[in-house]
Amino acid sequence: MSANPEATSDKSSGGALLRVSSDKIGRLMDLVGELSLSVSETVNSPDLEGLDLVGFDAAAHRLSMIVREVQDAATELRLVPVGEVFRRLKRMIRELERETGKIIDLDIVGAETAIDKLVADKLYDPLLHVVRNSADHGLEGPEERLNNGKSKAGMIRLAAQQVGSEVRIQVVDDGRGLNRDKILKKARERGFFGPNEEPEPERLWKVIFEPGFSTAEVVSTLSGRGVGMDVLNTTMSELRGRIAVDSEAMKGTTVSLHIPVSLAFLDSILLRLGKQLFTVPVDDVAEIVKPGLSDLVGVSADKGTEVLKLRGSFIPVLRLEKFYGTKVDRLTPLIDMVCIVFNTSRGTIAVPVDEVLDRQQVVMKPLVGSLAKVRASWGCALLSSGEVAIVLDCERLASGEER
Amino acid sequence: MAAQAAEMERETRSSVDDGVVEAESIDSMYLTFAVGEEDYGMSIGMVTEIVGMQRIMVVPDVPDYIKGVINLRGKVIPLMDVRLRFGMAERPYDDRTVVIVLEVNDAPMGLIVDRVREVIDIPDDNIDSAQSFGSADGRSVVSGLGRVDERVVILLDVPLLVSDMDVIAPKMAKA
Repeated sequence: MSANPEATSDKSSGGALLRVSSDKIGRLMDLVGELSLSVSETVNSPDLEGLDLVGFDAAAHRLSMIVREVQDAATELRLVPVGEVFRRLKRMIRELERETGKIIDLDIVGAETAIDKLVADKLYDPLLHVVRNSADHGLEGPEERLNNGKSKAGMIRLAAQQVGSEVRIQVVDDGRGLNRDKILKKARERGFFGPNEEPEPERLWKVIFEPGFSTAEVVSTLSGRGVGMDVLNTTMSELRGRIAVDSEAMKGTTVSLHIPVSLAFLDSILLRLGKQLFTVPVDDVAEIVKPGLSDLVGVSADKGTEVLKLRGSFIPVLRLEKFYGTKVDRLTPLIDMVCIVFNTSRGTIAVPVDEVLDRQQVVMKPLVGSLAKVRASWGCALLSSGEVAIVLDCERLASGEER
Repeated sequence: MAAQAAEMERETRSSVDDGVVEAESIDSMYLTFAVGEEDYGMSIGMVTEIVGMQRIMVVPDVPDYIKGVINLRGKVIPLMDVRLRFGMAERPYDDRTVVIVLEVNDAPMGLIVDRVREVIDIPDDNIDSAQSFGSADGRSVVSGLGRVDERVVILLDVPLLVSDMDVIAPKMAKA
């Protein structure tokens, strides 16, 4: 045990703890969001135009700074140490130890890493699946381990670490690893890969998260890592997270979850296309390119598909107007647009927009009701100007998700 | 407009406070509004407020009758142009155009209507049910016709109206 989450969280708070209902914090967050919007509305009021207000400008600037700080402080209120989730998993592992007769050494690293309470609450179930699979099927029994020259006790490590604006949570075991042959066979049967295709390990391991991949046959014959893995997939996409799996035969398996620290605020780049505003998470953007004439290729033979040539490689251009079926009189020629380049798991795509407006911290809201059907989006974003933008999910954009 | 809404809210509340008999009558309270030449009504229970026309922001991937969204004090609310939903001609918004903000099944929706009229009480006895309006092509958004003095108020099935289901518009239904 490398860290005691309870002790750590007490120490880091440095004082008495206060129990506050999440509703109250949610209300505060909403109010802070409104406050920052109305401050910006006031400060940028058209009535002030042309007036020379030196004192006002200074005061307005200070006000904006303070609001920003209040916003940060409010966000922090909702952050909890991820150790709370780990502690619940620890109990589960003790139970699994009893059930399976295996000896499991649990190693916890980075329990003090802060994460949005809303994320933490949603993390337990998917993590439970991963841990259960590690304990149940990844780790060998004591005898098998000794025969293989391993220590009698198996190891499971729960590790959390903040990496930029993301938290990386890893479940590492030193068990027998994933069975490449069997997973590949199954994946080929399901049509994920061609009969002779030899996918990269990372691409292959991802299939275990495909819905329905966890058939009974897989469970019994190949260390059962199919069970509940698609639950993980669903939760991860809700949390705007990514999953990565690494496995080596006989050495063990590592499942890594990358999740944004906060769901409420998003560091994003603001884009304009016609009258519509979009934002994309800054981390998703690989590059922003102003294409020249020689960089563009139109393929009339393939329904006018457009391709962007970037440093010798050809990147398919994905027009949002086409994707969403927006009625436009005429598509703006690409030469007059700016291309946002995204690296997705389905390859690189270039999304043209009219203008890149700004980089800003936006308040995220889910899309509900009649907006819930807007495809390829995480939600909508409230901008400091009071405007609303759709937050694009480039993964689902690239997958060409149908309605 | 906000004041009007607040006024209406107060009215509703006070009638709740007045006791059991009055409380029942909330179900028979209808907000009436005009679209074109006709008077429509909807149960006041779902109405959260009435606001003037706001700056609409266009969003992708929504039906034509969803004109976009507004930001109402930090809440993002989609706006449905009731004229377009009914298959009527679009009409430029003017200073009498208002947005009726509703909360249906936990989701907000704003209805753009030509103008609001008043909140009136229409007892069930004065409502003719409208099962005859539906047809094989879909359900009618008309839930009934309310008789108020000499006028007829077309009562709307609000959950159906704000859903994305194909509906039969009132005009076609009456023809």
